[in-house]
Amino acid sequence: MFCRLVKFAWRSIWRNGRRTVITGLAVGMGLGSMIFYEALMQGMSEHMIQTTTESWMGDAQIHRDGFLDTKRIDLTVERPDSVLFMLGQDSTVSACTPRILSPASATSTTELKPVTLIGVDSETDPAVTMLEAAIDSGSYLSGDSTELIIGYKLADDLNAAPGDVIVITAAQADSGLSSNMFFVSGICRFGSDDLDRYSAFINLNTAGRMLGIPGSIHEIAVRFAESEMGADTTLGFWSKFSVFRNSALGWPELAPQVSTMLNMVDLGMAITAMILFALVVFGIVNSLFMSIFERMYEFGVMKAVGTRAGTINAMVILEAFWIAVISTLTGSIIGLLIIWITSRTGINFGEFDVSGVVFNKPLYPILKLSRVWIYPLFTLILTTAAGICPGIHAGRLNPAEAIRKSL
Amino acid sequence: MVDTNVIVAEGIVKTYDDSGVPVHAVRGIDYTLTKGEFTAIIGPSGSGKTTFLNVLAGLDTPTEGKVWLSGKLISEMSGRELSDFRRDHIGFVFQAYNLFPVLTVEENVEYIMLLQGIPPAERHKRVMNSLEKVGIAEYATRLPLQLSGGQQQRVAVARAVVSRPSLVIADEPTANLDSKTSGALLDMMRKLNEETGMTFLFSTHDEIVIQRAKKIVVLRDGKLDGNTSPEKFE
Repeated sequence: MFCRLVKFAWRSIWRNGRRTVITGLAVGMGLGSMIFYEALMQGMSEHMIQTTTESWMGDAQIHRDGFLDTKRIDLTVERPDSVLFMLGQDSTVSACTPRILSPASATSTTELKPVTLIGVDSETDPAVTMLEAAIDSGSYLSGDSTELIIGYKLADDLNAAPGDVIVITAAQADSGLSSNMFFVSGICRFGSDDLDRYSAFINLNTAGRMLGIPGSIHEIAVRFAESEMGADTTLGFWSKFSVFRNSALGWPELAPQVSTMLNMVDLGMAITAMILFALVVFGIVNSLFMSIFERMYEFGVMKAVGTRAGTINAMVILEAFWIAVISTLTGSIIGLLIIWITSRTGINFGEFDVSGVVFNKPLYPILKLSRVWIYPLFTLILTTAAGICPGIHAGRLNPAEAIRKSL
Repeated sequence: MVDTNVIVAEGIVKTYDDSGVPVHAVRGIDYTLTKGEFTAIIGPSGSGKTTFLNVLAGLDTPTEGKVWLSGKLISEMSGRELSDFRRDHIGFVFQAYNLFPVLTVEENVEYIMLLQGIPPAERHKRVMNSLEKVGIAEYATRLPLQLSGGQQQRVAVARAVVSRPSLVIADEPTANLDSKTSGALLDMMRKLNEETGMTFLFSTHDEIVIQRAKKIVVLRDGKLDGNTSPEKFE
């Protein structure tokens, strides 16, 4: 009986083929756009995470407790050699690099600008950050104590070019002031205001000596074997390296604005999906009710000859199911097709900034089946469920009244 | 109740509410239909024929009165019991052919047996037998819309009798047919009545049906206005 009902329902939806096609296309286009939107947001999210973690931050960082809140120069990582050794032995870590950080000022022959002075280990840094790759002109650090890399915006502000002299002044750990002269060895372009306008990079040992903390470091940036580990709060890494009065933090805690933005993107997706699915449900309910009113006589006859209300209800739900199958297939094909095309061409939105992350290249949608599958499934379930109400209505029809009204 | 009574109706009243105005379609009818009858309920349009048939068949509930179908009081049955009862005991033929347009002739006739859970082989045998009886077996795989009105009504009759109900109720079965087709359809139904002993109850104002009925019940303004034979009626 059920197989016959399935067949009956399939044939019934094609009695008004145009309506079925239009309904299927309407729902399908909604689903297709949701799938594409999800992939586009995924692309944007990954771009934000990559820009945030790969360019400079790393997937995780280790600091002395309280350093991030106070930025006090004397709050250096406890037992840095032991920590770096442990990191080298940890299977989840693919690379790590130590840093020194301090507020400072950069003075050129014409300008003075506030900067964050960053001491970088030029040997280990390229495996963790994009500093070397971001060099736009000049060269990367070679270990010379007078080398300085600045961002292109800071270079503009200071009217500086490679080879020019810049004086960096910073407070020392013992409250003294230290001024050193550097030569601009390279100008970098990260695509982040923080790094391009407000950072100055020098060699790690030079920074240690300048700030009066030789051999000490403020931060260790860590690159994990898998980038998702940075947001995995269950990872044993966090407790393992939150020792010796140090704290290990992942990028969501280090860049809460990015994390919040990503949560907002997810929330936006959920709200959009809810609106879409509500429209889908109303559309299908409307379509099925129209179909029922057109076939009042038929339902009346079905009831008259002894079809139970539940069977009629099941048949209407099966009709909704078939429309759901058509819509889901159509929507999935539309969505995947748009993703396939745009993942090759990219979508250029021009240059814009979201939570400090600059988007200046085409965005490429990323299809993550682990996230996308939910939309076709929801469409299938909700569209089918939309048949329940019209089905109950059809099942409750009084046969005599249904036949009389349609005559 | 006596076994030979297929339908017993007592004091049937049916009043509709038409936008606040009560419409008295049936005004207190007592009626008994016995086994093997081939009876036509006649009367002018609006006399309450269809309403009366619907009440007798359990398709509609009377405002007042009681109906026993094959000895069972309809008002005591649940909706599901009534559905099952109609499925197993009553065959219907409606004036607008009433076939399911997306099902083939064979599937249409088979439908009620499908509801009854009869095995496929038995269903097929009985469907073909019924279609042969109504002279339309060669159209078994066609869709209703590929048949003429007369052929569709024959399919409807085949569907009504295939599950071997004790009663076949036909509401204006010839309303949309020409006189020649109507005559042939009625002859076929009368033959079924005589061969199987199935009880037939029609509503009609078609002369052809009236001529072939064994018994005539006249309905006027929602009341019985006589119970006679076709000869006396003429």
